[in-house]
Amino acid sequence: MLRLSLIPLGLLVLLAGAMFWSGGAVERRADFTFINRGENKTLDLGVMSWMQDIRLAYQLWEGLYTLDPKTLEPIPGVADRIELSADKTVYTFHIRPTARWSDGKPLTSGDFIFGWRRMLEQPGEYTYLFDYLKGARNYEDAYGKWKEALAAWDKAKRQGSKPIAPDFGQVGVEAPDRLTLRVTLEHPVAYFPSLCAYIPFFPQYEPCMKAFAQLDSTGTYIASYDQSFTRPPNLVSNGPYALKEWSFKRRVRLTASPHYWNAGAVQSRVIDQIYADDALAQFRMYEGGGVDWLADVDGDMAADLLDKGRKDLHLIPAFGTYFYDFNCNPTLPNGVKNPFADARVRRAFSMAIDKRPIVENVTRTGEPIATTYIPRGVFADYVSPPGIAYQPQEAARLLAEAGYRGGAGFPRVRILFNNDFTQHGEVAQVIRRQWQQTLGVVLDLEGVEIKVFGDRLHQHEFDVCRGSWYGDYDDPSTFTDVYKSTSDNNNPAWKNTAYDELLERAAVEPDQHKRLKILADAENLMLEDAPIVPLFQYVGRYLYRDNVQGIPLDARQMIMMQSVKVDRR
Amino acid sequence: MTAIAPEATPERFVAAESSDGLWRRVVASRRVLLGGGVLLAILIACLASLPWTTRSGHPLYYDQQNPQQSLQSPRLNSVALWFGTDSLGHSLLGRSLLGGLISLSIGIGAAAIAVTLGVTVGVVAGYRGGWLDALLMRSVDVLYGLPYILLVILFKIALEGPLTNLFARMQWGSEHWYSATSAANLFVLFLAIGLVSWLTMARVIRGQVLSLRSQPFIEACRATGLKERRIFLRHLLPNLIGPIMVYATLTVPSAILQESFLSFLGVGIQPPLPTWGSLASEGMSKALNPIHARLWLLVVPCTFLAVTLLSLNFLGDGLRDVFDPKRDAAKI
Amino acid sequence: MFRFLLWRLAQFPLILLIIYVITFLLAWVAPGTPFEQTDRKLNPVALEQLKQQFHAEHWYTFLAYYPVKMVGGDLGPSLVYKGWSVNDILFTSLPISVTLGLFAMAIALIAGSFVGTLAAVRRGGAFDYASLFAALVGISLPGFVVAGVLIVLFSDKLHWLPSAGWGTFRQMVLPAVALSLMPLAYIARLTRASMIDVLNADYVRTARAKGLAREAVIWRHAFRNAFLPVFSFLGPAAAATLTGSFVVEKVFNINGLGQHFVNSVLNRDQTLILGTVMVYSLFLLTFNLLVDIGYAFIDPRIDVTAKAM
Repeated sequence: MLRLSLIPLGLLVLLAGAMFWSGGAVERRADFTFINRGENKTLDLGVMSWMQDIRLAYQLWEGLYTLDPKTLEPIPGVADRIELSADKTVYTFHIRPTARWSDGKPLTSGDFIFGWRRMLEQPGEYTYLFDYLKGARNYEDAYGKWKEALAAWDKAKRQGSKPIAPDFGQVGVEAPDRLTLRVTLEHPVAYFPSLCAYIPFFPQYEPCMKAFAQLDSTGTYIASYDQSFTRPPNLVSNGPYALKEWSFKRRVRLTASPHYWNAGAVQSRVIDQIYADDALAQFRMYEGGGVDWLADVDGDMAADLLDKGRKDLHLIPAFGTYFYDFNCNPTLPNGVKNPFADARVRRAFSMAIDKRPIVENVTRTGEPIATTYIPRGVFADYVSPPGIAYQPQEAARLLAEAGYRGGAGFPRVRILFNNDFTQHGEVAQVIRRQWQQTLGVVLDLEGVEIKVFGDRLHQHEFDVCRGSWYGDYDDPSTFTDVYKSTSDNNNPAWKNTAYDELLERAAVEPDQHKRLKILADAENLMLEDAPIVPLFQYVGRYLYRDNVQGIPLDARQMIMMQSVKVDRR
Repeated sequence: MTAIAPEATPERFVAAESSDGLWRRVVASRRVLLGGGVLLAILIACLASLPWTTRSGHPLYYDQQNPQQSLQSPRLNSVALWFGTDSLGHSLLGRSLLGGLISLSIGIGAAAIAVTLGVTVGVVAGYRGGWLDALLMRSVDVLYGLPYILLVILFKIALEGPLTNLFARMQWGSEHWYSATSAANLFVLFLAIGLVSWLTMARVIRGQVLSLRSQPFIEACRATGLKERRIFLRHLLPNLIGPIMVYATLTVPSAILQESFLSFLGVGIQPPLPTWGSLASEGMSKALNPIHARLWLLVVPCTFLAVTLLSLNFLGDGLRDVFDPKRDAAKI
Repeated sequence: MFRFLLWRLAQFPLILLIIYVITFLLAWVAPGTPFEQTDRKLNPVALEQLKQQFHAEHWYTFLAYYPVKMVGGDLGPSLVYKGWSVNDILFTSLPISVTLGLFAMAIALIAGSFVGTLAAVRRGGAFDYASLFAALVGISLPGFVVAGVLIVLFSDKLHWLPSAGWGTFRQMVLPAVALSLMPLAYIARLTRASMIDVLNADYVRTARAKGLAREAVIWRHAFRNAFLPVFSFLGPAAAATLTGSFVVEKVFNINGLGQHFVNSVLNRDQTLILGTVMVYSLFLLTFNLLVDIGYAFIDPRIDVTAKAM
């Protein structure tokens, strides 16, 4: 019996040991605690593109321009004096002498050049934004070609002369001295301050990255950086906060940087971003008081909170649209002739959707029904085109005109969606049923995991699929650029030369009013040709109590946490 | 959810018996009757309602969306509302009835695959013995060590795409009369769950074959020069029916639970088709939400699920007693 | 005994290798390349470099290269969580899962054998039926439902225990209970069955006839032998609690190992998949070995060195 009782005893000893091994110490409560949208993917400015990461980047870094904490309009950031030439193509930025990196070293114009150069030499998601810089596009292309030539030279046993790298001097950015940065643009860009306040234009600190550089096979250039430079204590940033701790999928802790030029204005000294995956768990943590701000309340939960009239739920029409893409290639992935290659069919399918049940029964948080791709009213002075309304009879007529009367002869197509959120499946069910009833076509649903979804989207391996786009910066082109023929994100593979030409014209148009008109024409052209059906405008769903001040209710859903204050009394 | 099964004690299964005695014990076993009866009732309800649950336009149709009846709590004024509705206004009764059929077919299909594989491996290993036995049983050991969740998901993901394309190509005629995605989806669920559920079966059957092989009547068959095939089919297999039935019955509930787990992950059944598991996992966030608990969304599918699995477990345990009279003493 | 230990340990590498190859091939066949990001395209040069870094130009080069690295104790960088190595990720999550698993096993073992014994002793009584029914309901409901109901009951309604997080003992209770229910039900059933067998055995009758107290006979003499089949169930139970913890981790917001079994596959994070599986298998093999040794320890009559069935 003694021996037997040793078993539970041994188990308990093991358990105690394991608890000691896994437990964490209790620490000081942060001044502001929040749950971000999803898990952080990266804190490398060069490859960043997810909203949750960008939110953190705004706390860690500061650009030449930054965002006003209340209005989120661009205001001067680390540059205190900015001069613009008469032809509006040359910006001269004077960097504040008091601007410092979080390790105390002064911020210089060279840090900007380093960061921007890296964006061109190691192109990422947002490299196209640098196309406005004089010579940047050329340099990027030349550099890419040089990399290929170098690899070819290496493969050919290094015969002949080594290819010579293109000269960065051709790019319109220079540093006359340590605190001055001169930027020359291809043509006037009205929203250049907005771009400068956006993450790819932030400075990057070479000394903290140097040790993590990974050279190419010939040892000539830096191919990439080992991403561990983004983890504390390696990461050095120049914003109001420094990265103190990053526990995997548990917590990110930011502390006020003592070297920030405006450190006195920082309200919350310590900020915790807590990670929670499950919607109910998130909500319970908030209700328990451990979390001050839920940045992305689950849709179902928000709908119920709205029903109950909860005052701490804040809904903001967001900078993003939920839509469906039609594959516009001549054939479908299975080799059948693609009916959606005919614009009449796409228009018919667009007209056949009654969007009310989607926002009233599925999303349920007052999402505005969308007929346009660019959310209405988020850009001042931009007049949205009407888009395609719900017209079931006209839809049936158009489909018959295209040769599929009552759906006869229409191939059995599939709606593709990612199944990590149940709402995508519910929207697809509603639409499938409506198309079936209004048009007489039979469809299947195909829910796949997000990884497969992404791959298939890029390879245009779908018939119809769900899609969404969030704007990045304060100009309609952040939406319209997506459907350029050359765009990587043009998932429907829709190619329209008239559209491309309009966008080219808009890009060089100096007059802002005319520019917006051209962009509106482009959007109208696209909506009428219907490669996508807009369904609804996203709604941002925040949850925070009265004692939290300084969270702007803005469509872009950004936040400057140095102005956030939580009254804990 | 787990693939664990209580330790098998294969040697105890009866070696040979007249079918008369067996039947008498089946009828005498209260658990077999109770489990089987409830199961049969559920199965009949699901099957009998099929004409309504699959007829587009009928209130019980599994995809009968009704925006005006979103999230109604259960009420008695119309059959479709007996168990309430979900957010799209689907009748939960209709969806539960069809969902039950799909859940049960996934369970039975997976069990069938598990039985086929497990019996084959078990018989080959037990009967041939030697290095083949060692190899097969060591592989079973290794497979036991693999995290089966990961295997199910990997099987599901790796097989679903190719199968969908295969099914789509197999359509004949101009009318596309069945859904390639749903067919592939269901098939791959059988396959994935079945492929990870055969291990216990293989072990049990091998043990049973080993103990049978050494018994005098098989030795006698050998001695009289009967062909191996005949020995196997006429003398060995009938004696394996007992354990096969018991473990097949116990594999069905675990397969159904595994499907519900896959639905929870979002890689289970494809909407709009329902299963009990997918109904429960969809209903979770709306049912257990502290703001507005719509309990029926969880209670209805879970009751169906629990009652069915309970009766399957009862049936399995009861059958075990029927085939293994000595176990009577240890009736669980 | 020592030779037996050595023999078992010598088998480890081979078993691990087989598990590795199976997992690798399945993960490689699954659609969705591990080297592309989910939503954004990677440029071809960068993709090529990434592949070179992992020796992944061909599947067989990756297959051959990775184990070499692994033996050196380096599981490589995660393909999805940029900047994190698989070592980092496993090091933060493994302790949590092990604690949770051990806690759950302790509950299952202690409560399960107690309930099972009691049910056997009062066979046919109300307690017997109640425990049987509870056990069967417990294994007839999906884990996510059980976990959700526990939270609503003990956290939302009664406010006894916190619903989420990890670190304090109070936070560990509910998830451990949720995770223990399934093995608890099995252990209770196993204990009960073997206890009934044992209680009918001659030596127990003899003990009773000698005039020993009923309780003493049950707990001193019968329980020890009845416990043996339960003990051999610990191996599979450990496997189930370690992998089965995905649901519990998700519902209770715990950052453990279970999530990686599922998420790494959904993300096609090849290195993390392999790392998780290998660490898990090693754990399981070791635990099973410990169970076998423990088996010999509580019952010296058993010769574990004899070939198992």
